[in-house]
Amino acid sequence: MTDTATPLAIDAHHLVKRYKNKTAVDGISVQIPSGETFGILGSNGAGKTTTVEMIAGLRKPTEGTVRILGLDPFTDRAEVRQILGVQLQQAYLHDALTARELVDLYRSFYPDPLDAETALAMVELQEKAKTRFSNLSGGQMQRLSIALALIGQPRVVILDELTTGLDPKARRRVWATIESLQDQTVILISHAMDEIERLCDRVALIDAGRIVAQGTPDDLKAQASAATLEDAFVALTGKEFEYEQEESS
Amino acid sequence: MTTTIHARRPGASAWLRMIQAEAKMIIRDTAGVIVPLGLPILMLVMQAMMSDDLFLEIAPGVTVMDYYALPVVLAMVVTMVGVMNFPSFLATYRQTKVLRRLAVTPASPAMVLVAQVVVSLIQVFLGLAIAFGVAIIFFDANLPSHILMAILVLLACCAAMYAVGMMVASLAPTPNASVAIGLVAFFGMAALGGMFGPMENLPGTLADIGAWLPFGATVEAFQATWLGETVPWQNWVSFAASTGIGLTVTAALFRWE
Repeated sequence: MTDTATPLAIDAHHLVKRYKNKTAVDGISVQIPSGETFGILGSNGAGKTTTVEMIAGLRKPTEGTVRILGLDPFTDRAEVRQILGVQLQQAYLHDALTARELVDLYRSFYPDPLDAETALAMVELQEKAKTRFSNLSGGQMQRLSIALALIGQPRVVILDELTTGLDPKARRRVWATIESLQDQTVILISHAMDEIERLCDRVALIDAGRIVAQGTPDDLKAQASAATLEDAFVALTGKEFEYEQEESS
Repeated sequence: MTTTIHARRPGASAWLRMIQAEAKMIIRDTAGVIVPLGLPILMLVMQAMMSDDLFLEIAPGVTVMDYYALPVVLAMVVTMVGVMNFPSFLATYRQTKVLRRLAVTPASPAMVLVAQVVVSLIQVFLGLAIAFGVAIIFFDANLPSHILMAILVLLACCAAMYAVGMMVASLAPTPNASVAIGLVAFFGMAALGGMFGPMENLPGTLADIGAWLPFGATVEAFQATWLGETVPWQNWVSFAASTGIGLTVTAALFRWE
Protein backbone atom coordinates (compact mmCIF):
# COMPACT_ATOMS: atom_id res chain seq x y z
CA MET A 1 0.00 0.00 0.00
CA THR A 2 1.32 3.44 -0.87
CA ASP A 3 0.04 6.77 0.38
CA THR A 4 0.42 9.87 -1.71
CA ALA A 5 -0.48 13.41 -0.77
CA THR A 6 -0.40 15.33 -4.00
CA PRO A 7 -3.10 16.68 -6.25
CA LEU A 8 -0.80 16.37 -9.27
CA ALA A 9 -1.70 13.43 -11.46
CA ILE A 10 1.57 13.70 -13.40
CA ASP A 11 4.72 15.36 -12.16
CA ALA A 12 7.58 14.88 -14.60
CA HIS A 13 10.71 16.79 -13.76
CA HIS A 14 13.60 17.48 -16.17
CA LEU A 15 13.23 14.30 -18.23
CA VAL A 16 16.21 13.51 -20.42
CA LYS A 17 16.62 10.49 -22.69
CA ARG A 18 19.88 9.92 -24.53
CA TYR A 19 20.68 7.11 -27.00
CA LYS A 20 24.42 6.95 -27.69
CA ASN A 21 24.94 10.12 -29.76
CA LYS A 22 21.32 11.23 -29.88
CA THR A 23 19.33 13.14 -27.29
CA ALA A 24 15.67 12.31 -27.89
CA VAL A 25 14.30 14.23 -24.92
CA ASP A 26 16.22 17.14 -23.45
CA GLY A 27 14.91 18.36 -20.11
CA ILE A 28 11.13 18.16 -20.35
CA SER A 29 9.08 19.03 -17.26
CA VAL A 30 5.28 18.82 -17.07
CA GLN A 31 2.92 19.09 -14.15
CA ILE A 32 -0.63 17.96 -14.84
CA PRO A 33 -3.35 18.35 -12.21
CA SER A 34 -5.92 15.60 -11.71
CA GLY A 35 -8.82 15.75 -14.12
CA GLU A 36 -7.00 17.71 -16.80
CA THR A 37 -6.69 16.66 -20.42
CA PHE A 38 -3.19 17.58 -21.49
CA GLY A 39 -2.08 17.54 -25.12
CA ILE A 40 1.41 17.00 -26.47
CA LEU A 41 2.01 18.32 -29.94
CA GLY A 42 5.15 18.10 -32.03
CA SER A 43 6.59 17.14 -35.39
CA ASN A 44 8.06 13.76 -36.28
CA GLY A 45 10.95 12.85 -34.01
CA ALA A 46 10.27 15.74 -31.63
CA GLY A 47 10.36 13.39 -28.64
CA LYS A 48 6.64 13.12 -27.85
CA THR A 49 6.38 9.35 -27.78
CA THR A 50 9.66 8.96 -25.88
CA THR A 51 8.38 11.42 -23.28
CA VAL A 52 5.14 9.56 -22.66
CA GLU A 53 6.93 6.20 -22.69
CA MET A 54 9.09 7.50 -19.84
CA ILE A 55 5.97 8.72 -18.03
CA ALA A 56 4.34 5.31 -18.56
CA GLY A 57 7.40 3.52 -17.21
CA LEU A 58 8.28 1.87 -20.51
CA ARG A 59 11.61 3.66 -20.89
CA LYS A 60 13.87 4.65 -18.04
CA PRO A 61 14.91 8.30 -18.24
CA THR A 62 18.63 9.03 -18.50
CA GLU A 63 17.94 11.90 -16.10
CA GLY A 64 14.91 13.26 -14.32
CA THR A 65 12.02 11.90 -12.32
CA VAL A 66 8.39 10.97 -12.98
CA ARG A 67 5.58 10.66 -10.48
CA ILE A 68 2.06 9.51 -11.25
CA LEU A 69 -0.22 10.46 -8.35
CA GLY A 70 2.95 10.55 -6.29
CA LEU A 71 4.11 7.09 -7.40
CA ASP A 72 7.27 6.21 -9.25
CA PRO A 73 6.37 4.15 -12.36
CA PHE A 74 9.59 2.16 -12.05
CA THR A 75 9.73 1.37 -8.33
CA ASP A 76 5.95 1.38 -7.66
CA ARG A 77 5.20 -0.59 -10.79
CA ALA A 78 2.32 -2.65 -9.45
CA GLU A 79 0.44 0.38 -8.07
CA VAL A 80 1.03 2.51 -11.15
CA ARG A 81 -0.12 -0.20 -13.57
CA GLN A 82 -3.39 -0.37 -11.68
CA ILE A 83 -4.21 3.34 -12.04
CA LEU A 84 -2.74 3.88 -15.49
CA GLY A 85 -4.38 3.10 -18.83
CA VAL A 86 -2.24 3.29 -21.94
CA GLN A 87 -3.01 3.17 -25.62
CA LEU A 88 0.27 2.78 -27.40
CA GLN A 89 0.94 4.02 -30.89
CA GLN A 90 2.70 0.83 -31.90
CA ALA A 91 1.51 -2.12 -29.91
CA TYR A 92 -0.48 -5.13 -30.90
CA LEU A 93 -2.69 -7.71 -29.33
CA HIS A 94 -3.02 -11.49 -29.48
CA ASP A 95 -4.17 -11.64 -33.09
CA ALA A 96 -6.01 -14.97 -32.94
CA LEU A 97 -8.25 -13.86 -30.06
CA THR A 98 -11.62 -12.24 -30.67
CA ALA A 99 -12.46 -8.72 -29.51
CA ARG A 100 -14.54 -10.13 -26.65
CA GLU A 101 -11.79 -12.55 -25.59
CA LEU A 102 -9.28 -9.70 -25.52
CA VAL A 103 -11.64 -7.57 -23.45
CA ASP A 104 -12.15 -10.46 -21.03
CA LEU A 105 -8.39 -11.05 -20.78
CA TYR A 106 -7.51 -7.41 -20.15
CA ARG A 107 -10.33 -6.80 -17.69
CA SER A 108 -9.11 -9.75 -15.63
CA PHE A 109 -5.92 -7.79 -14.83
CA TYR A 110 -7.73 -5.01 -12.94
CA PRO A 111 -9.47 -4.95 -9.55
CA ASP A 112 -12.50 -2.91 -10.67
CA PRO A 113 -12.86 -3.11 -14.43
CA LEU A 114 -15.66 -1.99 -16.71
CA ASP A 115 -17.90 -4.85 -17.70
CA ALA A 116 -17.16 -6.34 -21.09
CA GLU A 117 -20.39 -5.17 -22.78
CA THR A 118 -19.85 -1.59 -21.60
CA ALA A 119 -16.28 -1.60 -22.86
CA LEU A 120 -17.28 -2.85 -26.31
CA ALA A 121 -20.28 -0.53 -26.47
CA MET A 122 -18.10 2.45 -25.56
CA VAL A 123 -16.23 2.04 -28.86
CA GLU A 124 -19.22 0.58 -30.73
CA LEU A 125 -17.69 -2.81 -31.32
CA GLN A 126 -20.49 -4.99 -29.92
CA GLU A 127 -21.15 -6.47 -33.34
CA LYS A 128 -17.48 -7.34 -33.73
CA ALA A 129 -17.26 -9.12 -30.37
CA LYS A 130 -16.72 -12.50 -32.04
CA THR A 131 -14.32 -11.24 -34.70
CA ARG A 132 -10.67 -12.09 -34.32
CA PHE A 133 -8.33 -9.14 -33.80
CA SER A 134 -6.46 -9.99 -37.02
CA ASN A 135 -9.72 -9.68 -38.97
CA LEU A 136 -10.66 -6.24 -37.63
CA SER A 137 -10.09 -3.16 -39.78
CA GLY A 138 -7.39 -0.69 -38.74
CA GLY A 139 -9.96 1.64 -37.26
CA GLN A 140 -11.64 -1.17 -35.34
CA MET A 141 -8.28 -2.28 -33.96
CA GLN A 142 -7.66 1.30 -32.85
CA ARG A 143 -11.05 1.50 -31.15
CA LEU A 144 -10.50 -1.81 -29.38
CA SER A 145 -7.12 -0.57 -28.22
CA ILE A 146 -8.78 2.53 -26.75
CA ALA A 147 -11.38 0.37 -24.98
CA LEU A 148 -8.57 -1.73 -23.46
CA ALA A 149 -6.78 1.42 -22.28
CA LEU A 150 -9.93 2.46 -20.42
CA ILE A 151 -11.08 -0.95 -19.24
CA GLY A 152 -9.45 -0.77 -15.81
CA GLN A 153 -11.15 2.55 -15.09
CA PRO A 154 -7.73 4.17 -14.82
CA ARG A 155 -7.20 7.48 -13.05
CA VAL A 156 -4.57 8.49 -15.57
CA VAL A 157 -4.85 7.67 -19.27
CA ILE A 158 -2.17 8.03 -21.92
CA LEU A 159 -3.43 8.01 -25.49
CA ASP A 160 -0.82 8.05 -28.23
CA GLU A 161 -2.20 9.05 -31.64
CA LEU A 162 -5.75 8.57 -30.47
CA THR A 163 -7.63 8.74 -33.75
CA THR A 164 -4.97 7.95 -36.33
CA GLY A 165 -6.54 5.78 -38.99
CA LEU A 166 -10.14 6.47 -37.99
CA ASP A 167 -12.76 7.87 -40.33
CA PRO A 168 -14.42 11.18 -39.40
CA LYS A 169 -17.47 9.51 -37.86
CA ALA A 170 -15.36 7.17 -35.75
CA ARG A 171 -13.15 10.09 -34.66
CA ARG A 172 -16.15 11.97 -33.36
CA ARG A 173 -17.34 8.89 -31.48
CA VAL A 174 -13.93 8.49 -29.85
CA TRP A 175 -13.81 12.18 -28.98
CA ALA A 176 -17.18 11.87 -27.27
CA THR A 177 -15.85 8.92 -25.27
CA ILE A 178 -12.83 10.93 -24.12
CA GLU A 179 -15.02 13.91 -23.26
CA SER A 180 -17.23 11.67 -21.16
CA LEU A 181 -14.36 10.62 -18.90
CA GLN A 182 -15.07 11.93 -15.43
CA ASP A 183 -12.26 12.92 -13.05
CA GLN A 184 -9.70 11.11 -15.16
CA THR A 185 -6.45 12.72 -16.21
CA VAL A 186 -5.63 12.28 -19.87
CA ILE A 187 -2.38 12.79 -21.75
CA LEU A 188 -3.12 12.98 -25.43
CA ILE A 189 -0.47 12.86 -28.12
CA SER A 190 -1.82 13.83 -31.46
CA HIS A 191 -1.01 15.27 -34.83
CA ALA A 192 -4.60 16.43 -35.23
CA MET A 193 -4.91 20.11 -34.36
CA ASP A 194 -8.72 19.96 -34.27
CA GLU A 195 -8.53 17.06 -31.84
CA ILE A 196 -6.09 18.86 -29.55
CA GLU A 197 -8.16 22.05 -29.61
CA ARG A 198 -11.38 20.24 -28.87
CA LEU A 199 -10.21 17.86 -26.16
CA CYS A 200 -7.28 19.45 -24.35
CA ASP A 201 -7.34 21.89 -21.46
CA ARG A 202 -3.65 22.61 -21.94
CA VAL A 203 -1.07 21.79 -24.60
CA ALA A 204 2.72 21.47 -24.67
CA LEU A 205 4.47 22.14 -27.97
CA ILE A 206 7.57 19.97 -28.24
CA ASP A 207 10.42 20.50 -30.65
CA ALA A 208 13.82 18.76 -30.68
CA GLY A 209 13.17 17.15 -27.31
CA ARG A 210 12.25 20.39 -25.52
CA ILE A 211 9.01 22.12 -24.64
CA VAL A 212 8.93 25.39 -26.56
CA ALA A 213 5.56 26.57 -25.26
CA GLN A 214 2.88 25.38 -22.88
CA GLY A 215 -0.60 26.66 -22.09
CA THR A 216 -4.23 26.49 -23.12
CA PRO A 217 -4.85 26.41 -26.87
CA ASP A 218 -6.11 29.99 -26.64
CA ASP A 219 -3.02 31.05 -24.66
CA LEU A 220 -0.75 29.58 -27.31
CA LYS A 221 -2.62 31.27 -30.12
CA ALA A 222 -2.49 34.58 -28.25
CA GLN A 223 1.18 34.13 -27.44
CA ALA A 224 1.98 33.67 -31.14
CA SER A 225 -0.64 36.18 -32.36
CA ALA A 226 -1.96 33.36 -34.52
CA ALA A 227 -5.46 32.55 -35.68
CA THR A 228 -5.08 28.79 -35.47
CA LEU A 229 -3.15 26.33 -33.33
CA GLU A 230 -1.22 25.22 -36.39
CA ASP A 231 -0.14 28.80 -37.08
CA ALA A 232 0.83 29.11 -33.42
CA PHE A 233 2.91 25.93 -33.73
CA VAL A 234 4.69 27.27 -36.81
CA ALA A 235 5.31 30.67 -35.18
CA LEU A 236 6.56 29.22 -31.87
CA THR A 237 8.75 26.43 -33.27
CA GLY A 238 9.80 28.06 -36.54
CA LYS A 239 8.93 24.81 -38.34
CA GLU A 240 6.14 23.62 -40.59
CA PHE A 241 3.92 21.05 -38.96
CA GLU A 242 4.27 17.54 -40.35
CA TYR A 243 1.18 15.39 -40.50
CA GLU A 244 2.84 12.04 -41.08
CA GLN A 245 2.56 9.48 -38.34
CA GLU A 246 5.39 9.58 -35.86
CA GLU A 247 7.64 6.58 -35.41
CA SER A 248 8.43 5.52 -31.89
CA SER A 249 11.92 6.65 -30.94
CA MET B 1 -5.51 15.38 -0.86
CA THR B 2 -4.43 11.98 0.30
CA THR B 3 -4.68 9.07 -2.06
CA THR B 4 -4.33 5.48 -0.96
CA ILE B 5 -3.48 2.93 -3.61
CA HIS B 6 -3.38 -0.74 -2.78
CA ALA B 7 -1.05 -2.80 -4.91
CA ARG B 8 -3.33 -5.63 -5.97
CA ARG B 9 -1.71 -8.04 -8.33
CA PRO B 10 -3.89 -9.94 -10.80
CA GLY B 11 -5.53 -12.90 -9.08
CA ALA B 12 -6.10 -16.53 -10.03
CA SER B 13 -8.82 -15.66 -12.54
CA ALA B 14 -6.36 -13.47 -14.48
CA TRP B 15 -3.80 -16.27 -14.57
CA LEU B 16 -6.50 -18.63 -15.77
CA ARG B 17 -7.61 -16.16 -18.46
CA MET B 18 -4.04 -15.84 -19.64
CA ILE B 19 -3.67 -19.62 -19.87
CA GLN B 20 -6.99 -19.84 -21.75
CA ALA B 21 -5.85 -17.10 -24.11
CA GLU B 22 -2.60 -18.94 -24.81
CA ALA B 23 -4.46 -22.21 -25.37
CA LYS B 24 -6.82 -20.56 -27.85
CA MET B 25 -3.90 -18.96 -29.67
CA ILE B 26 -2.22 -22.37 -30.02
CA ILE B 27 -5.36 -24.28 -31.00
CA ARG B 28 -6.21 -21.69 -33.66
CA ASP B 29 -2.68 -21.90 -35.06
CA THR B 30 -3.00 -25.45 -36.43
CA ALA B 31 0.61 -25.62 -37.57
CA GLY B 32 1.79 -24.83 -34.04
CA VAL B 33 0.07 -27.93 -32.67
CA ILE B 34 1.74 -30.28 -35.14
CA VAL B 35 5.21 -30.01 -33.59
CA PRO B 36 4.37 -31.07 -30.03
CA LEU B 37 1.72 -33.62 -31.02
CA GLY B 38 3.30 -35.10 -34.15
CA LEU B 39 6.97 -34.85 -33.24
CA PRO B 40 6.99 -37.58 -30.56
CA ILE B 41 5.64 -40.20 -32.98
CA LEU B 42 8.10 -39.14 -35.65
CA MET B 43 10.99 -39.34 -33.19
CA LEU B 44 9.81 -42.73 -31.99
CA VAL B 45 9.68 -44.19 -35.48
CA MET B 46 13.09 -42.71 -36.32
CA GLN B 47 14.66 -44.19 -33.19
CA ALA B 48 12.99 -47.54 -33.86
CA MET B 49 14.31 -47.64 -37.43
CA MET B 50 17.88 -46.98 -36.23
CA SER B 51 18.06 -50.28 -34.35
CA ASP B 52 18.03 -53.84 -35.76
CA ASP B 53 17.53 -55.59 -32.41
CA LEU B 54 14.71 -53.48 -31.04
CA PHE B 55 13.01 -56.33 -29.24
CA LEU B 56 16.17 -57.81 -27.70
CA GLU B 57 15.92 -58.02 -23.93
CA ILE B 58 18.83 -56.39 -22.13
CA ALA B 59 17.34 -57.03 -18.70
CA PRO B 60 14.28 -58.99 -17.59
CA GLY B 61 11.28 -57.27 -19.19
CA VAL B 62 13.39 -54.40 -20.61
CA THR B 63 14.07 -54.32 -24.35
CA VAL B 64 16.44 -52.22 -26.43
CA MET B 65 13.37 -50.18 -27.38
CA ASP B 66 12.65 -49.48 -23.70
CA TYR B 67 16.20 -48.82 -22.59
CA TYR B 68 17.66 -46.87 -25.53
CA ALA B 69 14.90 -45.60 -27.82
CA LEU B 70 12.19 -44.37 -25.44
CA PRO B 71 14.44 -42.38 -23.06
CA VAL B 72 16.03 -40.65 -26.06
CA VAL B 73 12.60 -39.93 -27.59
CA LEU B 74 11.40 -38.44 -24.29
CA ALA B 75 14.51 -36.29 -23.97
CA MET B 76 14.36 -35.16 -27.62
CA VAL B 77 10.73 -34.14 -27.49
CA VAL B 78 10.95 -32.20 -24.24
CA THR B 79 14.20 -30.52 -25.33
CA MET B 80 12.98 -29.64 -28.80
CA VAL B 81 9.71 -28.15 -27.57
CA GLY B 82 11.17 -26.54 -24.43
CA VAL B 83 14.36 -25.13 -25.88
CA MET B 84 13.31 -24.34 -29.48
CA ASN B 85 9.54 -24.24 -29.91
CA PHE B 86 8.52 -22.50 -26.67
CA PRO B 87 11.02 -19.57 -26.79
CA SER B 88 10.17 -18.83 -30.42
CA PHE B 89 6.54 -18.11 -29.42
CA LEU B 90 7.71 -15.70 -26.73
CA ALA B 91 10.16 -14.01 -29.10
CA THR B 92 7.35 -13.60 -31.62
CA TYR B 93 5.20 -11.94 -28.96
CA ARG B 94 8.07 -9.59 -28.25
CA GLN B 95 8.63 -8.78 -31.91
CA THR B 96 4.95 -8.21 -32.62
CA LYS B 97 4.75 -5.91 -29.56
CA VAL B 98 2.19 -8.04 -27.75
CA LEU B 99 4.52 -8.07 -24.74
CA ARG B 100 4.92 -4.30 -24.98
CA ARG B 101 1.16 -3.87 -24.71
CA LEU B 102 1.01 -6.22 -21.71
CA ALA B 103 3.88 -4.30 -20.07
CA VAL B 104 1.58 -1.34 -19.41
CA THR B 105 -1.01 -3.49 -17.61
CA PRO B 106 -0.79 -5.08 -14.17
CA ALA B 107 0.10 -8.40 -15.86
CA SER B 108 3.56 -9.60 -14.87
CA PRO B 109 6.17 -11.33 -17.04
CA ALA B 110 5.61 -14.41 -14.88
CA MET B 111 1.97 -14.59 -16.01
CA VAL B 112 2.99 -14.69 -19.67
CA LEU B 113 5.78 -17.19 -19.08
CA VAL B 114 3.70 -19.50 -16.89
CA ALA B 115 0.75 -19.42 -19.31
CA GLN B 116 3.01 -20.36 -22.20
CA VAL B 117 4.75 -23.09 -20.21
CA VAL B 118 1.46 -24.60 -19.04
CA VAL B 119 -0.04 -24.70 -22.53
CA SER B 120 3.18 -26.02 -24.02
CA LEU B 121 3.50 -28.72 -21.35
CA ILE B 122 -0.07 -29.89 -21.94
CA GLN B 123 0.83 -30.36 -25.60
CA VAL B 124 4.06 -32.19 -24.74
CA PHE B 125 2.31 -34.55 -22.34
CA LEU B 126 -0.42 -35.23 -24.89
CA GLY B 127 2.17 -35.85 -27.59
CA LEU B 128 4.16 -38.18 -25.36
CA ALA B 129 1.03 -40.06 -24.35
CA ILE B 130 0.16 -40.64 -28.00
CA ALA B 131 3.72 -41.73 -28.75
CA PHE B 132 3.72 -44.12 -25.78
CA GLY B 133 0.45 -45.57 -27.00
CA VAL B 134 1.98 -46.18 -30.41
CA ALA B 135 5.13 -47.64 -28.83
CA ILE B 136 3.16 -50.07 -26.67
CA ILE B 137 0.74 -51.13 -29.43
CA PHE B 138 3.15 -51.39 -32.37
CA PHE B 139 6.58 -51.86 -30.80
CA ASP B 140 5.72 -53.98 -27.75
CA ALA B 141 7.26 -51.34 -25.51
CA ASN B 142 7.06 -51.67 -21.74
CA LEU B 143 6.38 -48.97 -19.18
CA PRO B 144 9.23 -48.09 -16.77
CA SER B 145 9.62 -50.37 -13.75
CA HIS B 146 9.44 -47.28 -11.50
CA ILE B 147 6.56 -45.36 -13.04
CA LEU B 148 6.27 -42.74 -10.30
CA MET B 149 10.00 -42.08 -10.43
CA ALA B 150 9.76 -41.81 -14.23
CA ILE B 151 7.02 -39.20 -13.86
CA LEU B 152 9.21 -37.30 -11.40
CA VAL B 153 12.12 -37.45 -13.85
CA LEU B 154 9.83 -36.20 -16.64
CA LEU B 155 8.75 -33.23 -14.51
CA ALA B 156 12.34 -32.44 -13.50
CA CYS B 157 13.45 -32.70 -17.11
CA CYS B 158 10.62 -30.38 -18.21
CA ALA B 159 11.56 -27.84 -15.53
CA ALA B 160 15.19 -27.89 -16.67
CA MET B 161 14.45 -27.66 -20.41
CA TYR B 162 11.78 -24.94 -20.09
CA ALA B 163 14.10 -22.94 -17.83
CA VAL B 164 16.76 -23.16 -20.55
CA GLY B 165 14.05 -22.18 -23.06
CA MET B 166 13.10 -19.14 -20.97
CA MET B 167 16.76 -18.17 -20.91
CA VAL B 168 16.89 -18.46 -24.71
CA ALA B 169 13.73 -16.33 -25.01
CA SER B 170 15.23 -13.69 -22.72
CA LEU B 171 18.50 -13.51 -24.64
CA ALA B 172 17.14 -13.67 -28.20
CA PRO B 173 16.36 -10.32 -29.81
CA THR B 174 14.20 -11.81 -32.61
CA PRO B 175 12.27 -15.02 -33.32
CA ASN B 176 14.96 -16.03 -35.83
CA ALA B 177 17.68 -15.50 -33.25
CA SER B 178 15.62 -17.52 -30.80
CA VAL B 179 15.42 -20.46 -33.21
CA ALA B 180 19.15 -20.17 -33.97
CA ILE B 181 20.16 -20.12 -30.28
CA GLY B 182 17.65 -22.89 -29.55
CA LEU B 183 19.05 -25.04 -32.37
CA VAL B 184 22.62 -24.67 -31.13
CA ALA B 185 21.54 -25.48 -27.57
CA PHE B 186 19.44 -28.46 -28.71
CA PHE B 187 22.07 -30.06 -30.94
CA GLY B 188 24.85 -29.33 -28.45
CA MET B 189 23.03 -31.05 -25.60
CA ALA B 190 21.50 -33.80 -27.74
CA ALA B 191 24.68 -34.78 -29.60
CA LEU B 192 26.52 -35.19 -26.30
CA GLY B 193 23.51 -36.73 -24.60
CA GLY B 194 22.90 -39.81 -26.74
CA MET B 195 20.64 -38.67 -29.59
CA PHE B 196 22.91 -40.14 -32.29
CA GLY B 197 24.00 -43.19 -30.36
CA PRO B 198 24.72 -44.29 -26.79
CA MET B 199 26.71 -41.78 -24.71
CA GLU B 200 29.17 -44.49 -23.76
CA ASN B 201 30.34 -44.56 -27.41
CA LEU B 202 31.60 -40.97 -27.09
CA PRO B 203 35.18 -40.17 -25.94
CA GLY B 204 35.37 -40.13 -22.13
CA THR B 205 35.43 -36.38 -21.52
CA LEU B 206 32.63 -35.67 -24.01
CA ALA B 207 30.51 -38.45 -22.50
CA ASP B 208 31.08 -36.96 -19.03
CA ILE B 209 30.06 -33.49 -20.22
CA GLY B 210 27.02 -34.93 -21.99
CA ALA B 211 25.89 -36.77 -18.87
CA TRP B 212 26.03 -33.55 -16.84
CA LEU B 213 23.95 -31.62 -19.38
CA PRO B 214 20.16 -31.96 -18.96
CA PHE B 215 19.63 -34.02 -22.15
CA GLY B 216 22.13 -36.68 -21.12
CA ALA B 217 20.89 -36.57 -17.54
CA THR B 218 17.34 -37.16 -18.79
CA VAL B 219 18.35 -40.19 -20.85
CA GLU B 220 20.35 -41.68 -17.97
CA ALA B 221 17.62 -41.00 -15.42
CA PHE B 222 14.92 -42.60 -17.59
CA GLN B 223 17.14 -45.61 -18.27
CA ALA B 224 17.45 -46.08 -14.52
CA THR B 225 13.67 -45.97 -14.07
CA TRP B 226 13.20 -48.63 -16.77
CA LEU B 227 15.69 -50.90 -15.04
CA GLY B 228 14.12 -50.21 -11.66
CA GLU B 229 17.36 -48.73 -10.34
CA THR B 230 17.93 -45.57 -8.31
CA VAL B 231 18.28 -42.46 -10.43
CA PRO B 232 21.91 -41.23 -10.06
CA TRP B 233 22.23 -38.12 -7.90
CA GLN B 234 24.25 -36.42 -10.65
CA ASN B 235 21.11 -36.39 -12.83
CA TRP B 236 19.12 -34.56 -10.15
CA VAL B 237 21.96 -32.06 -9.74
CA SER B 238 21.94 -31.47 -13.51
CA PHE B 239 18.18 -30.82 -13.52
CA ALA B 240 18.36 -28.52 -10.50
CA ALA B 241 21.35 -26.58 -11.84
CA SER B 242 19.78 -26.11 -15.29
CA THR B 243 16.51 -24.97 -13.75
CA GLY B 244 18.24 -22.61 -11.32
CA ILE B 245 20.54 -21.05 -13.91
CA GLY B 246 17.74 -20.71 -16.46
CA LEU B 247 15.33 -19.03 -14.07
CA THR B 248 18.00 -16.73 -12.62
CA VAL B 249 19.14 -15.54 -16.04
CA THR B 250 15.51 -15.11 -17.14
CA ALA B 251 14.66 -13.05 -14.06
CA ALA B 252 17.69 -10.85 -14.68
CA LEU B 253 17.36 -10.41 -18.44
CA PHE B 254 13.65 -10.66 -19.29
CA ARG B 255 12.59 -7.81 -21.57
CA TRP B 256 9.07 -6.81 -22.55
CA GLU B 257 10.45 -5.44 -25.83
